[in-house]
Amino acid sequence: MIAPAGSLLAAHDLRKAYGPTVALDGAEFSIHPGEVVAIMGPSGSGKSTLLHCLAGIVPPDSGSITYDGREMATMTDAQRSALRRSEFGFVFQFGQLVPELTCVENVALPLRLNGTSRKEAERAALGWMQRLEVDDLRGKRPGEVSGGQGQRVAVARALVTGPRVLFADEPTGALDSLNGERVMELLTDAARSTNAAVVLVTHEARVAAYSDREIVVRDGRSRDMERAV
Amino acid sequence: MSPGGWARDLRMGLRFAFSGGREGWLRVTLTAVGVGLGVALLLLSTALPNALSVRDHREKARSDYTYAPTPPPRGDDTLVIADTNTTFHDKDVRGRLVEPEGPKAPLPPGVDRYPARGEMVVSPALERLLRSDDAALLRQRLPYKVVGTIHESGLIGSHELAYYAGASGLADRIDGSQVARLKEYGSPNPVAERADPVLMLLNLVVIVVLLMPVAVFIAAAVRVGGERRDRRLAALRLVGSDSAMTRRIAAGEALAGALLGLVLGAGFFWVGREVAGSVEVMGVSVFPSYLNPSPLLAALVAVAVPAAAVLVTLLALRGVVIEPLGVVRTAKPARRRLWWRLLMPVAGLALLAPMIGKGRGNGDFNQYLVTGGVLLLLVGVTALLPWLVETVVARLGSGGVAWQLAVRRLQLSSGTAARMVNGIAVAVAGAIALQMLFAGVDADYTKDTGKDVQRAQMQLSVPDGRSVTAESARFTATKGVRRVIALSEGSLGDAAWGAESGPEKSTQVTVGTCAALREVAALPTCRDGDVFALSGSEYDQDATALATPGRVLHFSPRSDEGTDVTWTVPAGVRRADSVVDPTGMRRGGFLLTPSALPAKAAAQVGGQLYLSLDPAVPDAAEYVRNVAVSMDPLQNPSVWSATERSRGYDSIRTGLLVGAVCVLALIGASLLVSQLEQLRERRKLLSSLVAFGTRRRTLSLSVLWQTAIPITLGLLLAMAVGLALGAVLLRMTGTAVTVDWTSVLSMSGAGAGVVLAVTLLSLPPLLRLMRPDGLRTE
Repeated sequence: MIAPAGSLLAAHDLRKAYGPTVALDGAEFSIHPGEVVAIMGPSGSGKSTLLHCLAGIVPPDSGSITYDGREMATMTDAQRSALRRSEFGFVFQFGQLVPELTCVENVALPLRLNGTSRKEAERAALGWMQRLEVDDLRGKRPGEVSGGQGQRVAVARALVTGPRVLFADEPTGALDSLNGERVMELLTDAARSTNAAVVLVTHEARVAAYSDREIVVRDGRSRDMERAV
Repeated sequence: MSPGGWARDLRMGLRFAFSGGREGWLRVTLTAVGVGLGVALLLLSTALPNALSVRDHREKARSDYTYAPTPPPRGDDTLVIADTNTTFHDKDVRGRLVEPEGPKAPLPPGVDRYPARGEMVVSPALERLLRSDDAALLRQRLPYKVVGTIHESGLIGSHELAYYAGASGLADRIDGSQVARLKEYGSPNPVAERADPVLMLLNLVVIVVLLMPVAVFIAAAVRVGGERRDRRLAALRLVGSDSAMTRRIAAGEALAGALLGLVLGAGFFWVGREVAGSVEVMGVSVFPSYLNPSPLLAALVAVAVPAAAVLVTLLALRGVVIEPLGVVRTAKPARRRLWWRLLMPVAGLALLAPMIGKGRGNGDFNQYLVTGGVLLLLVGVTALLPWLVETVVARLGSGGVAWQLAVRRLQLSSGTAARMVNGIAVAVAGAIALQMLFAGVDADYTKDTGKDVQRAQMQLSVPDGRSVTAESARFTATKGVRRVIALSEGSLGDAAWGAESGPEKSTQVTVGTCAALREVAALPTCRDGDVFALSGSEYDQDATALATPGRVLHFSPRSDEGTDVTWTVPAGVRRADSVVDPTGMRRGGFLLTPSALPAKAAAQVGGQLYLSLDPAVPDAAEYVRNVAVSMDPLQNPSVWSATERSRGYDSIRTGLLVGAVCVLALIGASLLVSQLEQLRERRKLLSSLVAFGTRRRTLSLSVLWQTAIPITLGLLLAMAVGLALGAVLLRMTGTAVTVDWTSVLSMSGAGAGVVLAVTLLSLPPLLRLMRPDGLRTE
């Protein structure tokens, strides 16, 4: 498969089934550097599976995914893990912060996993926490902060390594609209400022409005939508 | 709160426990399996005293030792019985030759009829053994036809090897000890033995030490799934239940696990009871019917376990603020206080202190004080450990990512980690104390036999009337025998032994070839016909006086009807120095070579054969026993050992070992369940950590640190408490306090080994849980 010209991450004819349940049935996807693409669809349509396949978390049953010209299927698990550590960032619906670490330690974690010293990692983490307006939470544990604050900490954690692609799976799913919008503003602004591509899984049109382009997934098949202006 | 309200909330909890779908059932099952294992072990412990008592009664009921100076006259209700115990491949075989002298001769317990001459009735275990392929040598030794089985009432264990074989002509050999005439079985003068206070102390401590970790284990088991349960409870608060009500509902859920655990425990116990009937541990076996728990103790277990489940849950939820929304656990729990935790071990020491220096000679130890003191000291471990873990982990600095994840987790919830290792710490503390006590009193219960096991490993007496030379030759030709030292032994006195006054001076006489005599004395030259007078013996004072050439000495007759045989000290008698003989003695008296012994005196000396075996022949001892039995069915050659130990002491030590293995296995199982439970709770988090590139090695290492840190602290505390308890126990028995570091380290190593094994076993599930599937929500 030849990826669309200039695309950073592209998928072609992806198929994935969990037992008898077909999650992806010939899905297509591509994203360019600095672009924000929303993957939309109803519950159970396969949008999270598509994100997991694109991020190299779950291998597809068939089809191909290329990242920066490299075929993901040819990479070993360790290589894919290294890719996720250094070039990808993740935000999940419930933040998935490590409850026993403080917020600054959570944000610094991906850098530390890459071998950065604790001091340096926490300095960089604090910088991102300031940008996301949560630096006052540095010494608090996730259990002591609100959902919106926790999600902003999770965004900071996703961006701290300077990823080229940010994967966000329902990042505002657990937040009220006000908090959700603030998180989206901060996330997209921060991503654009670093020229990171954002793969945004959501079922909310309000959230998808922050994207440059929308892809709708239904019954495992994807369809590129024209942005309604 | 009314009892009705309590009951309603508990019932609701019970219902919730079973209506939580797959997740709920899994949690209840895990709790129930944990509690069930603990209950089974508790029931087994309550059944053990009964089992030992039944064994004791059965042993007494079949006793056939009369020790009567004169046997009862022969009658139609008498029986002559001979002890023909033997050993086969290190297993004892209880053997009896029986000769009923009339139709009313008493039958031994478990036997329906007497076997005729050449026949035998056997225990089921012996019957199985005789049928097996590797029992050819035993079949040669017991060449009787099996005509029946000894029933359970005549045996003390399911694996006991025993037989009664029909015989004739035994009456001629009645000696009141090995061969006796009986009118009934059973101990004629049962005397209650006074138990050794130190052995009683050991017994008490062993029981407390083994049961404490079980109690700790049950307490931990009812808290399985605590974290997830807390989240569910928040939902209950949301729909209007108050805080106390919520806790009671949680207690009801734990009660469900405990009740199901009781049922499972009864089942495990029943299975264990049957299994116990088919196994033999360190030479001890029982019949399932022996293992009946005392009804009172069983009722106590049935009441105490569910009650403990409710209490433990209520206590555990004390520090948890269950709010209707979100966070259910106080983010920063109150710091643990040390003062009341120290009270327990201090109170324990205070209870034991009055008995310090009491020793063995001053009566029994107060069992209530001993039990209470040991219990409080060990409970002190479980109270101190959470404080210790909290205090230490709060001070731990940061390291690598794995270390940081582990330390932070421990800082956030050190209680869970401490609970996980509490059982191990208690078991190790108790075991260290016991090992110290055992090592301290070991010398009192282990005797050096003095026998030189390098020179001989077996010994037997040549029956009267048999030629020592001929029998020695038979054994020399026996497979696996390297060398035979044949010595005939008797006594010489300065007057006839049958006379009223008897001899005033007497000494030993040993007859053997020059080669054999060189085993007992340093002989420069020796030829057949030579006589030596020994010097150097520690106890033989009369030898020098009697060794005057020309002096007439009298042989001590071997039986009451023996005639007086004299011997004159020859002119050529020579002096020789005795050396330590194979039995560890320095003999005195005379050494005679065979030609120097008057022919008439041959019957006055008893032959002893000391056999050196070839270690390359594994069945050498069995060949010797077979030859011995073919020489005389009453023969049972003894096997030498350098030391011998008190039976009571040995059985307590065996009990401790068996119990310790069970307890460690149980704790290991509990640790594994808790570990898996915790991992399962964190499944989503683990998957997300892997999603953003965390190496599996990092997460595995963090799990290892999470266990290693508390276990290290637990073992250090266990060592401190164990050494303190051991020192106090040793002082109580009046023994010098010494630390057997090998035991301390091996006990701690065993505890650490269990944790390591559990961590390794939890790695495959951990790796599975780290799969990205954990991220799926639909």
